[in-house]
Amino acid sequence: MSDVKTSMPRRQKEIRADRIFNVFVIVMVVLVLLITLYPLYLVIICSFSDPALVTSGQVTLYPRGMTLVGYRAVFQNRELIHSFFNSVIYTVSGTILSLVVTMGAAFTLSRKFPGKKLFSFIFAFTMFFNGGLIPTFLTVRDVGLYNKAMVCVIMGCVSVWNVMLARTYITSTIPEALYEAADLDGASQIQYFFHIVIPLSGTIIAVLSVYYGVARWNDYWTGLIYLNTRSLLPLQTILKEILASLESSRELLMSMVSDSAEQDAELLNRAQIAKYCIIVVSTVPAVVLYLCMQKFFVKGVMIGSVKG
Amino acid sequence: MQAHPISAGDRLRKWGRSVIRNRWLYLLILPALVYLIIFNYLPMYGVQIAFKNYKPVRGIAGSEWVGFKHFTTFFNAYYFGRLITNTLLLNVLSLLFSFPMPIFLALVVNNIRSQRLKKFTQTAIYVPHFISTVVLAGILYILLSPTNGIINHFLVALGGKSIYFMNEASWFRPVYIISGIWQNAGWDSILYIAALAGVDPELYEAATIDGANKWQKVRYIDFPHLVPTATMMLILNCGSLLSSATQKTLLLQTGGNMATSDIIGTYVYTMGLGSGQFSYTAAIGLFVNVINFILVLSANKISDRLQGETLF
Repeated sequence: MSDVKTSMPRRQKEIRADRIFNVFVIVMVVLVLLITLYPLYLVIICSFSDPALVTSGQVTLYPRGMTLVGYRAVFQNRELIHSFFNSVIYTVSGTILSLVVTMGAAFTLSRKFPGKKLFSFIFAFTMFFNGGLIPTFLTVRDVGLYNKAMVCVIMGCVSVWNVMLARTYITSTIPEALYEAADLDGASQIQYFFHIVIPLSGTIIAVLSVYYGVARWNDYWTGLIYLNTRSLLPLQTILKEILASLESSRELLMSMVSDSAEQDAELLNRAQIAKYCIIVVSTVPAVVLYLCMQKFFVKGVMIGSVKG
Repeated sequence: MQAHPISAGDRLRKWGRSVIRNRWLYLLILPALVYLIIFNYLPMYGVQIAFKNYKPVRGIAGSEWVGFKHFTTFFNAYYFGRLITNTLLLNVLSLLFSFPMPIFLALVVNNIRSQRLKKFTQTAIYVPHFISTVVLAGILYILLSPTNGIINHFLVALGGKSIYFMNEASWFRPVYIISGIWQNAGWDSILYIAALAGVDPELYEAATIDGANKWQKVRYIDFPHLVPTATMMLILNCGSLLSSATQKTLLLQTGGNMATSDIIGTYVYTMGLGSGQFSYTAAIGLFVNVINFILVLSANKISDRLQGETLF
C-alpha cells in the first residue's frame, strides 16, 4: 500500500515534466519559425510597398501603399534581365552535364573492377587538398576557358561529395541480384546502367539536380574570377555589384532616371525598393526548385548519411 | 584438385581480361576523371609557382625557381599576424557558435508531436540555405543600413543610437556568424534529424516503463545518438579552419571593417587576381592548404582514437 502512495506523486510530477517539455518545444518551434521566416517575409512585403514608407521603417507587418515601381525598375534594367537569362542557360546546361557525369562516375565506383581503389583515391583526395585559387585560375586560363561562357557550365560540374552520395544510393538501394540477372540475360554494363540503374535512381537524381542546380544558380564566384566580359556574366555576379555594397547602386538609379525629373530622395528610395524586388526575383527560382523537389529530400539525405 | 603455379603472365592476362570485360565502367567514369585531372590535379601541378618567380610569358614550368622566398616574405610581412588572427578567429568563433544550433534544432523538430507542424517546420528551416550568398549579403546591407534599415529604426525607437553595422570592425564577426547560423543551422540539422529517425522506438518504450520523462529521454536516448554524427561534422569543419569563408567575407568586406574582415582568402584574391602577384599568393594558398590538410588528418586520427568514428 505504502508503495502506491509514494509513487503516485512521483508519477504526477513526471507528467508535469512532460507537459513543460511539450510547451517548451512549441515555444521553441514558434521562435525558430519566426526568426527563419520573418526576414524573408519582410523582404517580400517591402518589395510591394511604397518606397518612402519602407525607407522610413513603417512597413513591418504587412505591405503598405501597394505599388510595383520597384519591379518595373527591375524589369526595365536590360543588364539584369540579360544576366538572368545567362544564369538560366548556365544553370540548365550545367546541371544536365553534372547529372550525366556524376551518375556515370557514381555507377562505376559502385561496381568492382580492376583499379577501383586507385580511382576512389583520385576522387577522394580532391576533397582534402587542392591547388588553391591562383594555380586553378592559371590552369583555367592555360586551357583556354578564361572569359568563355563555357567556364560557367564546366566549372563545378563534378562535386565529389555528390558522386559519393550517388554511389552510396546505388549500392544501398539497387540489389546485386538485379545485376546478376541482367548479366545472365547478356546485358552489357552500359545497358544495365541505362535500363536498370538510371530508372531506379529517380530520388537521387532529383536530389542531385537540386544540389547542382541551386549551387550553380547561386554562384557568383565563377563569374567574378573567370569572366570579364559583362554580357557573359551570370545574375549573381551582377547582383554582387548592386546589392553587396554600402552605396545605393548607381546603375539602378540610371535605369530609373528616364522616368521624370523627380527629387533625388524619391529616386534613392526607389532604388532601395528595387533592391528588395531584385532579391525576390533572383531567389524565387532556387526556392521554388527546392520546394518542388522537397519530398525527395528526406529519403535522399537519409541514404547519404549512411556511411558508404 | 591440382595446384597450378600461377605465373605473372597468367595474372597479367587475367587482369587484362577483367579490364576488357569492364570497359564500359571506364568509359562512364572517364568524364568525371578528366574533369578532376584538369581542374584539380593540374592546379596541384601548377602549385609549383609558389616556389618560382612566375612570369606569364615563360609559363608555369619555365619560370625560375626561387625556393621559399615567397613563404618567408609572407611570414615576415607586417599584416601576417592580422591575417592569421582574423582568419582563425572568424572560423573558430563561427564553428563554436554555429555548431550546437543544428543539434538543438534536430532535438526540437524530433519532438514536435503534430506531424503536419513537424513537416512544415522542416521545410521552412531549410529555405534560407537556398538563398545565395550575394542575396544574403544584400539583405544584410538593407536591413542593417544606418539610415533606413529596419534594425536601426527599431534601435532608435527604443531610445538607442543608430549603429553602422556593416562599416564597423567590431560588428563584422557577429554579423557574419549570426547570418551564417540563420542561413545554415536548419539545413545542417538534416543529418541529425536523419540520425534521430533511426532511433529504435523500443528504447523510448523501455524508458517510459522505467519512468523516464521526456527531458530524460532527450538526454539519455536522443542526445547520445547524435554524438557520432556530431563528431563527423566536427572533423569535417576542422579541415577548413583556415580556408572557408572567403566568398561571403568578400561580400561583407567594407572600408570600415577591414581590421577584422581582412582574412587570408580575401587577401589572396585581391593581391593575386587584383594585383597579379601570382607566385606570392599561390604560396600563401599552399601554406593554408597544407595546414588544412594536416588539421583534417589529425582530427580524423583523434576521433578514431576516441570513439572509432572516422571519415575514411
